[in-house]
Amino acid sequence: MFACRRRGFLPRSLHHVRLAHIVRVSKEDVRWPGWEVVIGLEVHAQIKSRAKLFSVSRTSGLLEEPNKHVSPFDAAFPGTLPKLNPKCVDLTLRAATALNADVQLRSSFDRKHYFYADLPMGYQITQHYAPIATGGYVRLHRGGVNVRVKQIQIEQDTGKSTFDPRRRVSSIDLNRAGTGLMEIVSEPDMRSPEEAAEYIRLLQAILRSVGSSDGNMEQGSLRCDVNVSVNRPGDAPGTRCEIKNLNGIKSMQVAITASEVFRQISLVENGELVRQETRGFDEAKAETFSLRSKEDAPDYRYMPDPNLPPLLLDETYINQIRSKMPELPDTTSLRLHSQGLTQRDTEVLMTVDAGREVGFDGELGQGAVAYFDALSRGRDPKVVVNWITHELLGQLAARNQSFNENSISVEQMGDLIDLVQNGIVTGTAGKTLLRHMLSNPSSVLSSVQAKDLGLLALQSSESSELENWCKESIAAMPSESEAARKGNKNVVNKLVGRVMKLSRGRVDAGTVRQALEVLLKI
Amino acid sequence: MSVCARAPFRGLLKKSATSRTFSPNAGSTYQQAIESKNKSTNAFVYLSNSDTPPAQCSEGPLHGLPIAIKDNICTAELPTTCSSGVLQEFTSPFDATVVELLKQAGGFITGKTNCDEFGMGSLNTHSIYGPVVNPFQPSSSTAPWDDRERRSAGGSSGGSAAAVAAGMCYAALGTDTGGSVRLPASYCGVVGLKPSYGIVSRWGVISYSDSLDCVGILAKRVSDVGNIFNILAKYDEKDLTAARPCSRRKAESVCREAMDRWKGKGKLKGLRIGVPKEYFPSPLSPTVLAPLRTLLSSLSSLGATLVPVSLPATPYALSAYYVIACAEASSNLGRYDGVRYGTRVEPPPGSDLRRTADVYAHTRTKGFGREVQKRILLGTYALTADAFDNYFLQAQRVRKLIKQDFDKTFKIPNVLSTPSSLLPDFDATSPTTSGVDVLIHPQAIRTAPPLSPPDSKSESELDVYVQDVLTVPASLAGLPAMSVPVGEGEDGWPVGVSVVGQWGCDEMVLRVGEVVEGLVDEARRC
Repeated sequence: MFACRRRGFLPRSLHHVRLAHIVRVSKEDVRWPGWEVVIGLEVHAQIKSRAKLFSVSRTSGLLEEPNKHVSPFDAAFPGTLPKLNPKCVDLTLRAATALNADVQLRSSFDRKHYFYADLPMGYQITQHYAPIATGGYVRLHRGGVNVRVKQIQIEQDTGKSTFDPRRRVSSIDLNRAGTGLMEIVSEPDMRSPEEAAEYIRLLQAILRSVGSSDGNMEQGSLRCDVNVSVNRPGDAPGTRCEIKNLNGIKSMQVAITASEVFRQISLVENGELVRQETRGFDEAKAETFSLRSKEDAPDYRYMPDPNLPPLLLDETYINQIRSKMPELPDTTSLRLHSQGLTQRDTEVLMTVDAGREVGFDGELGQGAVAYFDALSRGRDPKVVVNWITHELLGQLAARNQSFNENSISVEQMGDLIDLVQNGIVTGTAGKTLLRHMLSNPSSVLSSVQAKDLGLLALQSSESSELENWCKESIAAMPSESEAARKGNKNVVNKLVGRVMKLSRGRVDAGTVRQALEVLLKI
Repeated sequence: MSVCARAPFRGLLKKSATSRTFSPNAGSTYQQAIESKNKSTNAFVYLSNSDTPPAQCSEGPLHGLPIAIKDNICTAELPTTCSSGVLQEFTSPFDATVVELLKQAGGFITGKTNCDEFGMGSLNTHSIYGPVVNPFQPSSSTAPWDDRERRSAGGSSGGSAAAVAAGMCYAALGTDTGGSVRLPASYCGVVGLKPSYGIVSRWGVISYSDSLDCVGILAKRVSDVGNIFNILAKYDEKDLTAARPCSRRKAESVCREAMDRWKGKGKLKGLRIGVPKEYFPSPLSPTVLAPLRTLLSSLSSLGATLVPVSLPATPYALSAYYVIACAEASSNLGRYDGVRYGTRVEPPPGSDLRRTADVYAHTRTKGFGREVQKRILLGTYALTADAFDNYFLQAQRVRKLIKQDFDKTFKIPNVLSTPSSLLPDFDATSPTTSGVDVLIHPQAIRTAPPLSPPDSKSESELDVYVQDVLTVPASLAGLPAMSVPVGEGEDGWPVGVSVVGQWGCDEMVLRVGEVVEGLVDEARRC
């Protein structure tokens, strides 16, 4: 049964590789004229579950005290057994659906053996023979190319080991050991480092939007290995090299562009062979270097895990996951456009949204888009997006805060927008109120706060107050008043500003101008 | 209960035996037996030093009864070392589910019993604590008990079998991967049950070969084994290989249905007993055959039908078993690296520390005994890319054939391999179902072999494995199998008979075992 699976994979994928190679028209790249670059990616994304893949202990953040979240299973104590966390399966199914992959009704878990101090059991549980999903794709915006996803498999993360050269000891932290990972393997469908970068960015956005992963490369919740080969256009793909441990999209691009492609081209041009090998990347030198050749590749002695029965899913279950799928980025973007938002507003909202905290176990968390959606229920979306992008985001930025730190609830913001729209406070007073509310976070409604602060727009019964402010301003600015009387219209603006300041924005500029004109008899 | 000490066993034993304060359950016959017989049998490697244990035990069917636990089943209050150098001083942070269930039922965990290292062996000679000596002494022998003939207690659960046989506990838990409960039971003259795979939780049982490992029960009487079985046969969600409650219920119902049709005075009319011809291999000693023949004719006279059957895949079972068991062992034992717990051997100064495996090698070379190292190496080879298809996959195919052999032979359907839609059609009385209810065959190819002095090569290494021919097929198929004493061989040493049933028919195996026991009792009285 296992043998069938193993033999089954290879011919099919080879077929795909050739096909893709033929189908894509090669485009000359000025950086390496006369050469074509073929790139495939293996991405490991940490599953955003509260508990680990096979144990009850919690997953950990980066800054937690070492070895805090370690159960006897995580530390490979004898007598412990794995128990699959169904949340990890659900989140992987979301990712598989979002990547248009076929979910397999039967998948299974295998052990991959090697000795390393951060791998307590001496093996990693993975899905070598029968992965949970196969055959999907990500559509790049650049050139409308589809990058095919070969398979998605669930596996365990390792712990971390750090070597202290001074004391000559290695420290082991098992907080991460046993955290669920999705390994997402692409076909070699990318033809430039820029396409590879876009593939990763899209993958990050997709995984985040469905709540499957943080997808954060800097924090290590998304890591990638890159397969690179070069060939003359029209020829078969060259021998590939794998570059491991790239810790950011930038360094991936640098590794390919500045080093690996030219290394391989110069080998071929000098009549030498590119050897299939695994390479590392030295960021300081911007150079890849050999880690091990194919001949030195370890034999992982894959074996079906006898403690884990096959994972059997039924259509009903899969459909249930599909029916509760959060919106994907492309869909969100289309929807926002259809609500009348400009390209720019949509981009701003979605960029801010991408920075939201991804909740555990598929809880989506409040992002900028959800905030916008809640606010635009019963309100003009264009007015709402203006308040969010111009006023709220602007003031947050001035305070050096991110959207995640926004203390103003949907109810408060909605109330504020309504106050301005209904003329109960002026636009200027509304902005003042917003600033006040950001400085003094509370749950008090905006209308109540506006009243307490005396920011309500001046009513017609209060016209004497406006007259007083105008007179006060005229008296305080005698030369400007004189000039105005003589017909200098520009100087009136100065007087209007003065009145506005005195009124703390409770009157709008037009009304002030009218009142001043009456008093100055112009 | 408190742990004796985390001192090495040898020191502990001396202290336990001479200490005046060491008087658990003083006066009980079990305790007296421990004091007088443990030293000579080497059955217990750790003993609880609790005073008057029953007072601390919960109320329940086992209230205050002392139960011994094999040294590869985790206990939070006593060390668990698998009788291995690599786990010296190791105490688990938790109790195995089976230990928990025994305590809840009022049982008193009296100590940990000697075994072959990680359960690998058939004679209980591969132990860091030294071999277990069979407590049996033929009635014809006139030597003082302490000077009795030194024979093996069998393995790997030799300490558990010896502890029961010597009256040091009410019952004992062992583990059975390829016969490790049934063989020692046979050699020591006690009852030993390997339940159906998945019926008893493996949480807390230190893995040798996960797909084969079963917790087994040893006691003097079948009814005692049954008592313990009823306490342990509970679904445990911590073990994903545990049989689901629905499979248990289905198996129970088809099994009871079949038993309900047995009639007659001895209630054996309608019971069909298969005698598989492949279980009489050439190395089988004629001495074990006489008691078996007597038993079969008694069963027949009580109304049971004896049916000669054939399980043609049996000759391949032994190789398949060793490939699977060793492959899984090589994987399971990878964790003993000296980093987190257990023994650690520091690499000597100047060692090459660049590769992790080279650092671990020092601990693993010193910590593991010879037999364990041998099996790890065999298993590692079987899993390498070049050998995988010819060894591991081939062994899995054989395993499937073995299961099919059994399913064809039994009248009762295997609820795990039969679609549930087909089950209601099953009719135990139907003339077309010509299968058998249980199989009966010799448990061992001989009586307990003498313990050879250390390092002597009196027996060829392969002979040790030949014995397993009679026990591994039931392990590969996950079937319930029980060894029941049927008398003595010509040398006066105990002989056991094996009763094997369809998956989930543990109750039937126990019931037939009880009949066997009754017949043997009767024969003794005459």
